[in-house]
Amino acid sequence: MTSTTSEATPAVASPRTGLLGADLRFLALTALGLVVFPFALHLIGGYAGLATQILIVSIATIGFNVLLGYAGMLSYGQSMFFGGGGYLAAILLLHTMPDHPNLWLAVLGATIVTTALAALIGALSVRLYGIYFALLTLAFAQMVFFIVEQARSWTGGDDGLQSFPNALLALGPWNVDLQTPLPAIALGPFGNLGDLKLWYVFAAVMLLAVLWFVRALTRSQFGEVLDAIRENEERSVFVGFNAAAYRVMAVAIAGALTGFSGALKALYDGTVSVDSVGIERSGSFVIYAVVGGIQTLFGPVIGTGIIMYLENVLSGVVSYWQLIEGVIFVLVVVFLPNGIVGTILKRSRARKTLLASVRVK
Amino acid sequence: MDPILRTSGLGKSFGHFAANADIDFSVAPGELRAVIGPNGAGKTTFFNLIAGTTPVTTGTICFEDRDVTRTTGHHRVHLGIAKAFQTANLYPDQSVLQNARLAALAHVQGAFAPQLLRRSTRLGRVDELACNALARLDLERVSELRCGDLSHGDKKRLDIAIALATEPRMLLLDEPIAGMSRDEARKTEALIRKLATEMTVLIIEHDMDLIMGISDSITVLHQGRVLATGTPAEIRENAAVQEAYLGGHSEAELHA
Repeated sequence: MTSTTSEATPAVASPRTGLLGADLRFLALTALGLVVFPFALHLIGGYAGLATQILIVSIATIGFNVLLGYAGMLSYGQSMFFGGGGYLAAILLLHTMPDHPNLWLAVLGATIVTTALAALIGALSVRLYGIYFALLTLAFAQMVFFIVEQARSWTGGDDGLQSFPNALLALGPWNVDLQTPLPAIALGPFGNLGDLKLWYVFAAVMLLAVLWFVRALTRSQFGEVLDAIRENEERSVFVGFNAAAYRVMAVAIAGALTGFSGALKALYDGTVSVDSVGIERSGSFVIYAVVGGIQTLFGPVIGTGIIMYLENVLSGVVSYWQLIEGVIFVLVVVFLPNGIVGTILKRSRARKTLLASVRVK
Repeated sequence: MDPILRTSGLGKSFGHFAANADIDFSVAPGELRAVIGPNGAGKTTFFNLIAGTTPVTTGTICFEDRDVTRTTGHHRVHLGIAKAFQTANLYPDQSVLQNARLAALAHVQGAFAPQLLRRSTRLGRVDELACNALARLDLERVSELRCGDLSHGDKKRLDIAIALATEPRMLLLDEPIAGMSRDEARKTEALIRKLATEMTVLIIEHDMDLIMGISDSITVLHQGRVLATGTPAEIRENAAVQEAYLGGHSEAELHA
């Protein structure tokens, strides 16, 4: 009886203009960063394709951060959605549209299936917390790994899938081939615009959309309740929130973003391998997110960028890259527990508070 | 009048230990009922069963003629049962206002609302409910503070404010004045009297002055069972109650 009273309440309009302005500024600045990024990367020795890969994989790390950062759930099985998304997209292309490979259909189809899988796994594991939740997600991911490895006729087993059609991006009447390079314009030390393919533009637009979505999500009614549940689940239940439903929803959102990212990655690479559903892949999202900073919007992107860049540059030079990666992870956890972006935000906030208090005096 | 809450044969066992057993209990709407008993009598377990914090082992719970024995805790809140915890159970990193807002939001939106993009600030009633609840507990003065920085007494009062923000029909107060200064306790007592005119209140408290002064009736639990139920005067005179209390407490406590 109590809940019916709320429907009669008129919604109070929020101060729109200010919000919209902030949204536009956020989108403009982020877009600017994404335009500059591949050229800055070139300057420090990263190749053009790496820039695209970083943007695509960042989307999965952002999804992982929704789970760990905002819902407080450590999943050690995100590879089942990432690799799962990749395999599903490839299988859809091979078996349902060999003649008219449509990127949207392949990617969205894969995303829908991984989202459903995530909702199912969320529902099965929602009663578990902390290490038990992590272990259960790991177990599910290992099952997926086993299935992918054994279902040779669909997945190619240990060989993975390579020869699936190059999906075209349907945009109105056009079918765009994202492998098309951008016009060749020499940019001195920043490389050549022609090094980049249309894929980079597409990945940047997708990442921008995902960032906008997650930014809105964390400020939304849903995000507010998710914060509350992370901070004190018992109290949240005894003010009337169905905490389990919120946690399942968070797993599903993370599964959607991770599956989307995995599908894009497979189509960009033109290949998908069993590594993409492996345990190391799951661990990589933990490292990316923690190094960049959980509970921050850009932390997952920065963390993915830094680790993927170092891996790419260093693994060519030294044979013990993974040791270095481990050391970086330990150093960040010990000295920068909020991650790189989290530490910067905290410092700048502390400085603002300090300045404010000085002004008051 | 039909009771607002009725339990029959209610029991809770942890292994072989029966924390609650055979509790037949009923409260009339608008009543202020105290649940007392020596330490370990099963008072908090009884509240946990009513609120849905722990599952029932035996027996049934009816709230407003609806069987809620298997109803989830969050659903019971929406039916009108709210609880203030023995140890203040809050969101320490959020502001005092946000603590109350979250309870109000749960009340206004329901148990689950997949509003992934829209903000809660558009729901005007949330702020109204939250501010009213804070005002009743005299917490407006600290509404912008971080909840974790509050004094002990203010934390306990905020816990009650959170319960009130859900507009309950029955309020469970587990030792609401424990650890409060004399002054805070007096203010809280006045508030409980006021609340009892608007809703049913169940209260666990060790402070016999308070209990004897404000209760319409008292139920005494002893070793997990109901020992006696009656008006404060009846309970004071009850020989079995005196006997039970002499185990751990002085008789003077009852007569204080």
